Amino acid sequence: MKRYTLYFLALAATVFSSCQQDVAQEEDSCCAKPVAADQLPAGTGTLAIPTGAMTDMSLYNLESDWQNQRGEAVKLQDLQGKVQLVAMIYTHCSYACPRIVADLKRIESCLKEFKRDDIGIVLVTMDPARDTPERLNAFATSNSLDAKRWVLLTSEQDNIRELAALLNMKYKTELDGEISHSNIISVLNAQGEIIHQAEGLGVEPDETVNAIKGLLQKI
Amino acid sequence: MRRLLTVLLMLGACSLVQAQKGTPADMVHVKGGTFVPLYGSNNQAISVQGFIMDKYPVTNAQYEAFVAENPKWKKSEVKQLFADAGYLKHWATDMGVGSNADKLKDSPVINVSWFAAKAYCECQGKRLPTVNEWEFAALASETKKDASSEPSFYQRSLDWYSQPNPKYLPPVQNAFKNYYGLYGMIGLVWEWTSDFNSALIIGESRQNASLDRQLFCGAGSSGASDVKNYVAFMRYAFRSSLKANYTVANLGFRCVQDVPVKSTAKL
Repeated sequence: MKRYTLYFLALAATVFSSCQQDVAQEEDSCCAKPVAADQLPAGTGTLAIPTGAMTDMSLYNLESDWQNQRGEAVKLQDLQGKVQLVAMIYTHCSYACPRIVADLKRIESCLKEFKRDDIGIVLVTMDPARDTPERLNAFATSNSLDAKRWVLLTSEQDNIRELAALLNMKYKTELDGEISHSNIISVLNAQGEIIHQAEGLGVEPDETVNAIKGLLQKI
Repeated sequence: MRRLLTVLLMLGACSLVQAQKGTPADMVHVKGGTFVPLYGSNNQAISVQGFIMDKYPVTNAQYEAFVAENPKWKKSEVKQLFADAGYLKHWATDMGVGSNADKLKDSPVINVSWFAAKAYCECQGKRLPTVNEWEFAALASETKKDASSEPSFYQRSLDWYSQPNPKYLPPVQNAFKNYYGLYGMIGLVWEWTSDFNSALIIGESRQNASLDRQLFCGAGSSGASDVKNYVAFMRYAFRSSLKANYTVANLGFRCVQDVPVKSTAKL
């Protein structure tokens, strides 16, 4: 039941997207005050709960709803507690995205000495219309991405653009359906703050790897 | 379960209220059409669906009301992730412009980040315009929907760009009014758009941009559809220099809404 409730709410939030932030809030002041956790409808999880422990610069302050490659509903907060490598892609992309995945794999291969649980890799699609969870899952399989480490995420275009803005990513869908985009690999610490960014394709992984090692030694 | 239903009913009520409003008094309908954007379409015309747009940029007084309702957007409480240190720096207090209220209450609010602008619009049941929507609406002179061929129209922008910001921005009602009845699209403040981060025309793009190589080879302006159009080039270049938590002393915003779908059946 809980699960269905969640989907139902997600659906409702999609349909009434203008009120998307306002589930379980007062009618007339749309985004007014967060509701205490115990007053929330069942199954809404962390929705609208103020993020007490969250630092000011944590990307996990975003409260948007996402889906992973298994079609599960997730929050960005769920990425908390691990060092995360984050990049944006779209699976119909023929030029840059395979290269950025290759760059991430290179970084991954430099981190073998660390426990797998300490580091996650997140790919966020810029093309939610075509990149369904199924499609993302197929992409993960065909690129042999370790399911325990790699998370592929999709959401509504607005939420994606918001996250992109925080990652300093620029992208634009061209008339032919291709997406022009910057290529940035971001390293987030366990709290979700950006601590390092590498721009461009085929960048030597050393700096990024060192940034990650620096973080992991602190954990 | 009952709570869930209540929530859904509230959502329903919210959307119904908006649907019944049609075009509110402080907004105008911009009829859809096509235009050739300065960047990114290889000189092809792109179509813009009709939309409803705020007549005026959001004012200090309106933004004060928003902050009063939404304390997390107070200067003292906003997260640095969502707005930099210059957020609302022209306000004397946490709650408003303070002693300059008579001069500034109807002036456009500035020093607001993209996140703040987006949150404001969402709370009104609206959204920020896209770059294409904004540029399309800004093509209009007083008398023509598309004044892109009129040198005098561009001169207006050039004259504006060449002037320093006034100490007190004028009230929104005094600004240039275009064909659609939109005030201050030119000559008042620059405005946020929802996809401001779709413009890739600065140096970094030569290194990073993946696909549209013809857009970025050579100088930044070589992809422009009308190289004479320095005016729009300035806007695109400015947008591409922004980050979502930046606040700028001449950057404000206004909101838009989709045109409600006319349905014969009642919900």
